[in-house]
Amino acid sequence: MSSIFLSNEILIFLFLQTTIYTLLLISFIYSITILRDWDFKKSTVLQYKLEKRSYLVILIISFSLFIKILLFFYFIFSIDNLSHFVVGAMCAAGIFSLEYGEISLFLKLTNLFFIGIWFVLNSLDLKRKDYKYTKIKLLLFIFIFICLTFEYILDFKFLLNIPLNKAVECCSVIFETSSISSKIPFGLVNSSLILILYILFVLIVILNIQKKSILLLFFNILFVYISYFAVTYFFSTYIYELPTHQCPFCMLQSEYYFIGYFIWSALFLGLFFSICSVVFYRNNSLDIYKFYKLSLIFTTIFVFLVTFFVLKYYVVNGVFL
Amino acid sequence: MIVAKNISKIYFEGSKKEFYALKNINFEIKKGSFVIFKGVSGSGKSTLLSILSTISKPSFGEILFDKEPVSKYPDIHASSFRAKNIGYIFQSFNLFEDLTVFVNVSLPLIPLGFSQKDIDKKVEEILTLSNILHKKDEIVSNLSGGEKQRCAIARALINNSNTILCDEPTSSLDYENSMNFIKTLKELKESGKTIVVATHDPLFFELDFVDKVFELKNGVLVE
Amino acid sequence: MKISVFINLIFLLLHKQKTKYISIFILSTLTIFLLSTVIFIKSSLQNEILKTLESHNDFIIQREFGGRIFDIENQLEDKLRNIYGVKNITKRVYGRYKFLSEDVYFTIIGVDFSNLNKELKNLGLQNISNDEMIVGFEVDNLLKKYKYTNYYDFFLPNKEIKKVKIAKVLEKESNIISSDIIILDINLARDILGINRDFSTNIAFDVPNELERTNIKQKLQRLDLELNIIQKEDILKKYETIFNYKGGVFLILYLVVLFAFIMILYQRYSQVSINERKQIAIFKAIGYSVRDIIKIKMSENFVVAFVSYLFGVLLAYFFVFILNAPILKNIFIDFSNIKNDFIIYPYIEFSTFVTLFLFFMVLFLSSVLIPVWKISAINPYESLR
Repeated sequence: MSSIFLSNEILIFLFLQTTIYTLLLISFIYSITILRDWDFKKSTVLQYKLEKRSYLVILIISFSLFIKILLFFYFIFSIDNLSHFVVGAMCAAGIFSLEYGEISLFLKLTNLFFIGIWFVLNSLDLKRKDYKYTKIKLLLFIFIFICLTFEYILDFKFLLNIPLNKAVECCSVIFETSSISSKIPFGLVNSSLILILYILFVLIVILNIQKKSILLLFFNILFVYISYFAVTYFFSTYIYELPTHQCPFCMLQSEYYFIGYFIWSALFLGLFFSICSVVFYRNNSLDIYKFYKLSLIFTTIFVFLVTFFVLKYYVVNGVFL
Repeated sequence: MIVAKNISKIYFEGSKKEFYALKNINFEIKKGSFVIFKGVSGSGKSTLLSILSTISKPSFGEILFDKEPVSKYPDIHASSFRAKNIGYIFQSFNLFEDLTVFVNVSLPLIPLGFSQKDIDKKVEEILTLSNILHKKDEIVSNLSGGEKQRCAIARALINNSNTILCDEPTSSLDYENSMNFIKTLKELKESGKTIVVATHDPLFFELDFVDKVFELKNGVLVE
Repeated sequence: MKISVFINLIFLLLHKQKTKYISIFILSTLTIFLLSTVIFIKSSLQNEILKTLESHNDFIIQREFGGRIFDIENQLEDKLRNIYGVKNITKRVYGRYKFLSEDVYFTIIGVDFSNLNKELKNLGLQNISNDEMIVGFEVDNLLKKYKYTNYYDFFLPNKEIKKVKIAKVLEKESNIISSDIIILDINLARDILGINRDFSTNIAFDVPNELERTNIKQKLQRLDLELNIIQKEDILKKYETIFNYKGGVFLILYLVVLFAFIMILYQRYSQVSINERKQIAIFKAIGYSVRDIIKIKMSENFVVAFVSYLFGVLLAYFFVFILNAPILKNIFIDFSNIKNDFIIYPYIEFSTFVTLFLFFMVLFLSSVLIPVWKISAINPYESLR
């Protein structure tokens, strides 16, 4: 039996991806025709027809991209569910370690960023009376569509190649740290990692108040990079309350109250709004300070959440792990 | 002030049936004036009025409301402008027959973002002014011609707009109701609103408070 | 627009367009009902079987040679006792007995009445003597049909006849698997099944320490090459896979139904009456933008879809867990042997609801996107005359 029947959730996920992709394909074709003939200055019948069609395109794109965001969470959730009956896996980490798994996840994440940018650009364009951003908006969509095509193909390649009989690695194997091999960059140990994390956070707060967008973005990217390792190798042990359990995915499961979704979402939203503050800095109508504020809020939520678990453990048990 | 520059409207452009509903219309309407567009059926009055109200877009030319090129706005902004600044009274009233008077009159306020409390207050005020408050929960289809007219007027005035456009407003009314309507228009003009009426009802041509009469013949303005 | 005012408007409009939406609503509800029913049955059964299996021993060993299974000698028990980490070694005897009158099989399970475990105690087996038996209710029904009201004469392989009294009948609810079983003394079972008293069908044991299980499996394999070692985890995963496979096949077939549904939806919505055109035109004339109208229409559809989702799920819940899902439960259970009637226990995971919701809502709303746009983008002027 083919592995596509592996789980009902995966089947439904792929079906929904196909549906959304079809809708996006329709928008893609219409976008091309709109871009080809668009000229706001003219008031011909053709132009009005194109304007009407642009409402359809915007409707479909808004709907589809919104569903895409929901589907991303559903994807993570289904992969997590898969781990129950793929031999050897205890959480999603084992499944993602398979072929095309990590790149599929990474591509989905970057696509989410582009989708977010598109939504901000769309709301900007609708506020204007001169269709200034319509062309850019549609061009960006075409770019996103190409990326989503890759994502769609990768989905099938990844999900259809999950082995039913071969054992996959469990997260304790994938994320182990021993004295010989440590996956933490720059050869850092946990304590220095955490120190750097908090220093970066303070730096980010300062830069945010100073409104230095490019520097802020650079340090935000660095922060996300360091945070990934910090959460996986240090903070996660406090969430699972086990010094040897280091895994970024297990915290997405119900036994930990799905806290993983909040932690990772807060981290990425912090980075996303920082990116927005750079991409849209030239725009006058939008209150750019809103982006700075949101970026700071989400980054703070992230730091608060991860610190909370460490403190909670200390308060309850009197010692650190 | 409302300015129309070189307004033309072509239907079925590029095909054999192509014809000009409006051709090179130019005019100015000063604020607070009462203007009549006179002409027989099919002369293009309704088309002109719909373009003026931004419901339709012209094939050529533009409409300027206080220097704002509203005819070129994207739909969202044109609709927003219309909702805030224009009250329209239709030939056949165009009310929602199966909804109540209250709901009909409150509809224009919803896109403007008012709370339900504000909406209720404003609707009560305008219904009282239009003398139809006693019928506020009545379904429109049960109203008489005169009552429907008062409901339509209330709806056109609910957003406190400065411009009222009327398309053949008295064509389905008897003499008494027509005179009542004209009296209402006079009161509105005296309160400073700009009124534009498209009609071929001779009752309008003898009025003393009319500032300007335009005549439309086959889509062209005749002086 | 203010949210509360907008919601009032939506419900008012829905109320006025009841006739238009009622057929869609019924169709949607039925579609959800069908899918939910199958999913509920599947997850309930899956859970039952998994729960049953959970209480089984971690390992079972059989003697296997040349691809055939043989009875296993009881002496192996001593060898097993010597392996560190092995606990609860149980000799198990079971098999099938052909009930000739009906050409069906009873499952015979031999139990050591002097050494009962907790689960068997729960069935009330303490006071059974060695020549009595406990039968599942379907067995009881069949026996009664042939006038065996409180005993049965077994045909032993050595041509003897053994009369065994029925001490107790298991009720319908006890377990999915129990309706065709007969539980009796382990040695009596050996006699009926033709197993030598020094042998058993298989030997089961536990290994409480998870990390030791691979080691022990390897040790045993080295000890005796002709042993077939079955681990509980493998069985669990196999069952899950089978359930998902059957579920997946149903899903594929269901997609055909869904496709038809979407076509109907699309068609229905694409037909716009003159009245509706006029209504949209009036909205536009009083200041509603195309975007506002799209928002209104999509919200109307969302409400219809959501309410039919709720109704469909509730109906399915009622049908499966209260009416016990007549006919449909046959998809998952094999009925080739004895008739197996059972009660479906309510067991649904939250994720099932999320999956159903996402699946249905996305499909429904996707199929109405283009019709909604078509109606929202009409030219108002023509319809107002």
